[in-house]
Amino acid sequence: MAEFLDLEAQDGVRMPWNVIPGTKQEAINCVVPVSAIYTPIKHFPNMPVLPYSPLRCRTCRAILNPFCMVDFAAKIWICPFCFQRNHFPPHYASISDENLPAELFPQYTTIEYETPGEVASIPPVFMFVVDTCIIEEEMAFLKSALSQAIELLPDNSLVGLITFGTFVHVHELGFGQIAKTYVFKGSKDVTKDQLLEQMSFFARKPKPSAGVIAGARDGLSSESIARFLLPASECEFTFNSVLEELQKDPWAVPADQRPTRCTSTALSIAASLLGACVPGSGARIMAFVGGPATEGPAPIVTKSLSESIRSHKDLDKDSVPHYHKCVKFYEGLSKQLVHQGHVLDLFACALDQVGIAELKTAVERTGGLVVLAESFGHLVFKDSLKRVFQSGDFDLGLSSNGIFEVNCSKDIKVEGIIGPCASLEKKGPLCSDVVVGQGGTSAWKMCGLDKATSLCLFFDIVRKESPDATVQSTSNQFYFQFMTYYQNNSGQMRFRVTTLSRRWVAGPGSIQELTAGFDQEAAVIVMARQVSFKMETEAEFDPIRWLDKALINLCSRFGDYQKDSLSSFSLSPRLAIFPQFLFHLRRSQFVQVFNNSPDETAYFRMILNRENVANSVVMVQPSLISYSFHSGPEPALLDVAAIAADRILLLDSFFTVVIFHGSTIAQWRKGGYHHQPEHQAFAQLLQAPHDDADLIIKERFPVPRLVVCDQYGSQARFLLAKLNPSATYNSDAAVPGGDIIFTDDVSFEVFLDHLKRLVVQ
Amino acid sequence: MAAPVPPGASRPGDNTSPPAPNYNPNFRGFPDSLADNMQNLNLNRPPMTSNLAARPPPFGQSPAFPSSSPSPGIPGPSPPFSRPGPPPVAQLRPSVPGYGPPSSTLPLNFVPGRPTGPPTSQPMFLGSRPRPSTLLSSTGSPAAPTSGGPYPGSSLPTHPIGPPLLTPGAHPNTLTSTPLSAPQVMPPSGSSGNVMSNGPPVFSSGALSARPQFPPINSASQPPVGPNVVRTPPGPALQSQLPSSGAPQGTMPPLGSPFGVPSWRMQPQQVAPPPVPGPTQTSQMFGMPPPLPNQSMTTTISPAVGQTGAPMAGPSKIDPNQIPRPTPSSSVILHETRQGNQATIPPPATSDYIVRDTGNCSPRYMRCTINQIPFSADLLVTSGMQLALLVQPLALPHPSEEPIQVVDFGESGPVRCSRCKAYINPFMKFVDQGRRFICNFCGFTDETPRDYHCNLGPDGRRRDADERPELCRGTVEFVATKEFMVREPMPAAYFFLIDVSMNAVQTGATAAACSAISQVITDLPEGPRTMVGVATFDSTIHFYNLKRALQQPLMLIVPDVQDVYTPLETDVIVPLAECRQHLELLLESIPSMFHNNMTSESAFGAAIEAAFLAMKGSGGKLLVFQSVLPSLGIGALSAREAEGRTNTSAGEKEAHKLLQPADKAFKEMAIEFAEYQVCVDVFLTTQTYVDIASISVIPRTTGGQVYYYYPFSALSDTAKLYNDLRWNITRPQGFEAVMRVRCSQGIQVQEYYGNFCKRIPTDVDLAGIDCDKTFMVTLKHDDKLQDGSECAFQCALLYTTLFGQRRIRVITLSLPVTSMLSNLFRAADLDTQFCCFLKQAASEIPSKPLLQVREQVTNLCINALFSYRKFCATVSSSGQLILPEALKLLPLYTLALSKSIGLRNEGRIDERSFWINYVSSLSTPLAIPLVYPRMVAIHDLDSKEDHNSVIPSFLPLSSEHISNEGIYLLENGHDCSIYIGDSVSSDILQRLFGVATVDEIPTPFVLQQFDNPLSKKLNEVVNEIRQQRCSYLRLKLCKKGDPSGMSFFSYMVEDKSTGGFSYVEFLIHVHRQIQHKMTA
Repeated sequence: MAEFLDLEAQDGVRMPWNVIPGTKQEAINCVVPVSAIYTPIKHFPNMPVLPYSPLRCRTCRAILNPFCMVDFAAKIWICPFCFQRNHFPPHYASISDENLPAELFPQYTTIEYETPGEVASIPPVFMFVVDTCIIEEEMAFLKSALSQAIELLPDNSLVGLITFGTFVHVHELGFGQIAKTYVFKGSKDVTKDQLLEQMSFFARKPKPSAGVIAGARDGLSSESIARFLLPASECEFTFNSVLEELQKDPWAVPADQRPTRCTSTALSIAASLLGACVPGSGARIMAFVGGPATEGPAPIVTKSLSESIRSHKDLDKDSVPHYHKCVKFYEGLSKQLVHQGHVLDLFACALDQVGIAELKTAVERTGGLVVLAESFGHLVFKDSLKRVFQSGDFDLGLSSNGIFEVNCSKDIKVEGIIGPCASLEKKGPLCSDVVVGQGGTSAWKMCGLDKATSLCLFFDIVRKESPDATVQSTSNQFYFQFMTYYQNNSGQMRFRVTTLSRRWVAGPGSIQELTAGFDQEAAVIVMARQVSFKMETEAEFDPIRWLDKALINLCSRFGDYQKDSLSSFSLSPRLAIFPQFLFHLRRSQFVQVFNNSPDETAYFRMILNRENVANSVVMVQPSLISYSFHSGPEPALLDVAAIAADRILLLDSFFTVVIFHGSTIAQWRKGGYHHQPEHQAFAQLLQAPHDDADLIIKERFPVPRLVVCDQYGSQARFLLAKLNPSATYNSDAAVPGGDIIFTDDVSFEVFLDHLKRLVVQ
Repeated sequence: MAAPVPPGASRPGDNTSPPAPNYNPNFRGFPDSLADNMQNLNLNRPPMTSNLAARPPPFGQSPAFPSSSPSPGIPGPSPPFSRPGPPPVAQLRPSVPGYGPPSSTLPLNFVPGRPTGPPTSQPMFLGSRPRPSTLLSSTGSPAAPTSGGPYPGSSLPTHPIGPPLLTPGAHPNTLTSTPLSAPQVMPPSGSSGNVMSNGPPVFSSGALSARPQFPPINSASQPPVGPNVVRTPPGPALQSQLPSSGAPQGTMPPLGSPFGVPSWRMQPQQVAPPPVPGPTQTSQMFGMPPPLPNQSMTTTISPAVGQTGAPMAGPSKIDPNQIPRPTPSSSVILHETRQGNQATIPPPATSDYIVRDTGNCSPRYMRCTINQIPFSADLLVTSGMQLALLVQPLALPHPSEEPIQVVDFGESGPVRCSRCKAYINPFMKFVDQGRRFICNFCGFTDETPRDYHCNLGPDGRRRDADERPELCRGTVEFVATKEFMVREPMPAAYFFLIDVSMNAVQTGATAAACSAISQVITDLPEGPRTMVGVATFDSTIHFYNLKRALQQPLMLIVPDVQDVYTPLETDVIVPLAECRQHLELLLESIPSMFHNNMTSESAFGAAIEAAFLAMKGSGGKLLVFQSVLPSLGIGALSAREAEGRTNTSAGEKEAHKLLQPADKAFKEMAIEFAEYQVCVDVFLTTQTYVDIASISVIPRTTGGQVYYYYPFSALSDTAKLYNDLRWNITRPQGFEAVMRVRCSQGIQVQEYYGNFCKRIPTDVDLAGIDCDKTFMVTLKHDDKLQDGSECAFQCALLYTTLFGQRRIRVITLSLPVTSMLSNLFRAADLDTQFCCFLKQAASEIPSKPLLQVREQVTNLCINALFSYRKFCATVSSSGQLILPEALKLLPLYTLALSKSIGLRNEGRIDERSFWINYVSSLSTPLAIPLVYPRMVAIHDLDSKEDHNSVIPSFLPLSSEHISNEGIYLLENGHDCSIYIGDSVSSDILQRLFGVATVDEIPTPFVLQQFDNPLSKKLNEVVNEIRQQRCSYLRLKLCKKGDPSGMSFFSYMVEDKSTGGFSYVEFLIHVHRQIQHKMTA
């Protein structure tokens, strides 16, 4: 395991198969696809940044890298992807064995180029889109959160404000004399052209007769843009006074109706406005939504309260009239945003669903952030928002305008990416016919990306079994090159290149080697992303069956067993915990949609699709740490048996962090012993999980929800739901920790037994 | 307290507001409570609960009871209450301030609402009134009488007309106990002074005593304070905006009555032989005038062309000074509507008269083209005249007239005929001991409601007929019951919509509108029922959230002008009291906010639609200030005038098409507006073509009005804009109104003309109705009437007052039916008939070629005269043109009409459209001056000492009367031109204009007042005219020898011009036509 982490620390890549099955058939037999989870702009403290442009291969445009063969005498390098011989340009003349440029250093497989002077002309843009159909209390929370946010913004960043309810209000922050807003009907979608016309962008000069009208370069005067987008330092006062006077949507709502909320229109107007004013530069639409959209082109539910908001069941039955319309609308919006290079961030704070399921495409394709909380007053929202703008150790490293490209060896093709990006539809020989996620391309747009954004690439091994397989030995290496061109948070354009080399194996003896190269954590996350994707895209897909089949096939291929002998079954340590991961994946929120709303499911999957392997694993199988007087903090089995009266448990399931006090501890705590000087040790014991929880919370985005609970308390469900139900109300055996789980779910033991039986059959 | 019932008098705001600059068309300065007592103002009064103490006296400096010490010293025009007049008049005047201060120091028993009943010690002149004392008391004034004994005020109950008193049968004791049974007792001569005070200064006591039988109306109860007081000297506010105007015009407007229009009454003496009493004398012909020989009703023009004479030979033979011309009357006419149970012939509409309602309505409210009704359609056709009513249901009464009584029938509502739904009126005949009554409209016999029953007296009338206004007055107002309401009476909502497009801002129109609104809102009653909103527009529409909770108004822009909406459900129109500061702030900043506006487009149609959506819930008045042609969004228009000009061939052929609305969009909008009770007034402050023909559809349909300022000049038009707006919202008016005219069997309504929306054939819907709006109702026979019977007309107007009361104003007129053609001619009403000509012509201009319209107008005149000539004129000298006395001016007016703006070939399309639109709601008294304006010489104003009138006698509209050394002022009730000849002495110029030569007079012209008698007199004259016309006339300077001079001469209708005949030629033309007909 450790070596995989080392590889990740060097390149930001995790692959389920670090030794790659060398043929198509082999790859299919391996069950878990050949894939990679790559964090394009992962922060590396030691990574060099080269102040010049990269050298590219003449034919395949690959970048010079440590795996290239270099002929120092002839000043020639050979591209490992296409084997093209390339001459070094004159300024590489001094290259020699002793005098290598950094990109040829073997340890610098990941390197970044920064062409000097290439700085974005427009500072980052933030367009706040704020829901006003919320109760006064929520309004107050939201206002204070927003006014904090604007203080945190860099002074030069441009700010715009749109509020919406029944109507969409575009605030003209640049109008000095009185508060001024443009009011658009919520029920009507406005095109960009109409918007330009209606917001009098051409008042001072005639409308250009033809061509795309966008930005200050193409037809719009910068004064007219400055009406709506102002540097934060200039508009802070106006922004705050507008916020201060912002009122709940004034249109009366009948008792039997939901408020009229035109989320889709507001977002569409925000997108068009940015598209007109600052196309191509890094801009974020930050939407703060407090309830379901009921108006405009994409309402998720009608206004009548007699209609309930769609559930998974409704979606499965395809009985939601608006759903497809909405999804289509947001697909259109995401195309527009991707085209403009703008990001949609969604902060959904409501007890109701707001329509994340429908909005998902728009957020995910643009690489936006998403935060789901119960209230604008909740810490999950407030702290997450702060984190977005925070600079310092835990900043998100928000970057924009990314373009991600892949190069790989001839026998590999790219099926696609599951993750926050959008296909640029750059077809080429590299593209596989099989499409997974954003596929059919070798380049993707990442309008927004940050330090944690992780893409999951799926590869198709096209190399056929050849008769002379044994004699092939010229090269048993596959090469991959990931190139990311992006604008970092200080506005500079960067180009990061990661070049990988992986050995491939084929033939009968390859199982050992494949096993050795198996990264089960990466594998389960690839499976998780894949199963989520299939659940969303394939009709009648049965995820449990699919996962079980995969697990059985994998175990029967890589396990050691004698036929029909249950006890003979064993797995190599490389695969040992894979069944457990899959057991938890089956139980996870990604697969089990029961009890979750479509919004929640969409939310969880969006986070899964953008997180790295370590964080994703926590989502699938939460980590559990136990604290007691008997021993220091130690990992505990994610099992109901871990509960003990004299223990404190810290559960990290990514979205929630639970501190669970055993019943004895809870009694002591209630007794207030930790306040007594003679029980300092107890105080320390109590404090320890909190400190650890704080650490987790501090570096995570979205900020998780912290639940502090006691055994038998109602909040304890947050813990119990995640534990392996080894002791249920059906169990005969005495319960060691004194807790049982009221479920009919099978426990891991039972699951494993079934697995073994099926494998050895 | 008859206090002056000046137009729109005393509003709460008036008392506290600083004196308005310049002329205010409405008179101010009366404590409301006083005005409240005057029923003639009731339409805008809240229920009589007004708290006296709450209203500070407008003129606190006056002694509490000046009446006891007459202050003869009101000299000249300077003191605010004074009106130039003979000292005796002044005696009365001080009484006003007398009741002005309602403070506790006043020893008056002001107990509003409590009927204290008339004390038996009532001064005797009260007895002179034929009305029950209770009614009297209701109008009683504490400060009333001058000569009328010691402080009558203290003994007079000041109770405002309390419904209980009027409730039928309510206080029989009171009624009978008062010794008032003797009707029409002339008050002692001492009180005649009172009467005088009401009239114009000319009114002499001699004239009064000449008609002793005429009781001085309101002498006690309505001290004639009249309009005089109302005037407040113009304040500095507006002038500060017009720095260049220097000395303000009208700093001291002469205080005169708007009613005291000493306008033209026919002076038969001037007419060729025989000298017969003209209509002026009608007031002396009370009762049934003895049938006069036809001749006496005839004017002949003697030496006319012979039958065979050469056409052009004639003129020389006619003495131009002998032909009929209007002449000013110099005294007020007292008019009783019925005498001896006979309808009397009303005085001319343009004369100054005081009406006593003795059964028929006052002619101000409704008058008929012929005051006797032809018994058959054939007779009418033979007469060549038209039968129509002109109805002005909320017309301003004369201050001396008795207010309209309000009658509350309680839950059951007013008594009505159960078949035709006509309202109870003095002509319903009670039979069967009062148990039943016969409807005078449909003839149906109804049961008298039990609690309305009353025995009949020996004369067949109900015993209580004189105590019940609905049984003895031609005009009454009923309190509407629930069945007349589809919803709660609407609030008074005012929405101001201001053009802020580039043009409007740069010409100063926006600033002028904002300043006018800002000043005018102080005049609005600040109750919870007064709602105000403001929006501006250019290519987008800008609403303003005026909610008080906000620190400052919030601008909400509606950018979609194809599909508009209101951005807020509430808070766009808010109660005035809650948004005054915000509103003032906003109006102040709008001009600067849009200072740099480069948007030249105007989304007028979309803006009014959006404003309508904001007002839809309540309805109300929408006042739009528009400066350019609507070019964008809903109802966008094209500059079709220019298109018409470039494409001349098409333009020539169908020139009148440009006077029709461009498309149906505005009409559809207007109908919807009317349905939701939104009344639109449009103020066009423009320098270009704005297509009034299309725009005016909206005001016309919603009961609104178009104001036209062309070419707009911020310098000279700001004051007019302000005054127009002020009059617009402060004049007596009503909302959500429905009007219907009913006629006796045999006659039916043919068509309504005016500004309204008509959804069902019998009624007209009026989103707004005000005192200036007049409707023409044409009538037709559907059966023969019985000779000698009476034919009745009843106009019922259901409306909501400014203060949220639902009222039905019922105006009833009963006229005799005749079979004698000569009676018809004797009873013909020239002003009314001409007004009909005018309105009909105006309505036809857009749909017919001009030539045809002009011909039609001429034929109407010829037909009537021909009929008279053929059937009535016994002496038939073939060489004479014989005119019926009543219609002797018809040829002159017809000629003038055919030369008027609307019927001229040349002239701008907008100007003509405006003219057409202006005419459609024009009142009868203003119809005549519109086509035959009043012209006076002003260069010698100071030399003529005419004590009778501020305005000197006027000149015939003929260039013969214009000298090159003279300066002349001409006004038509709407515009005013000052013509300066080219040889005017520089001394006069210096005195009037402060410059030495004509060329130095700056344009645009603003009248200033200089410190010399001539200039002061001129300002007095102008202000007097403005007051009479209830309009702040635009002043235009015309100089000889440039285009403006030419335009002045186009008013000289008696001249021969390219447009047509001279007056003499026209008479000859008419004569010849008649002769042709005779021989044919």
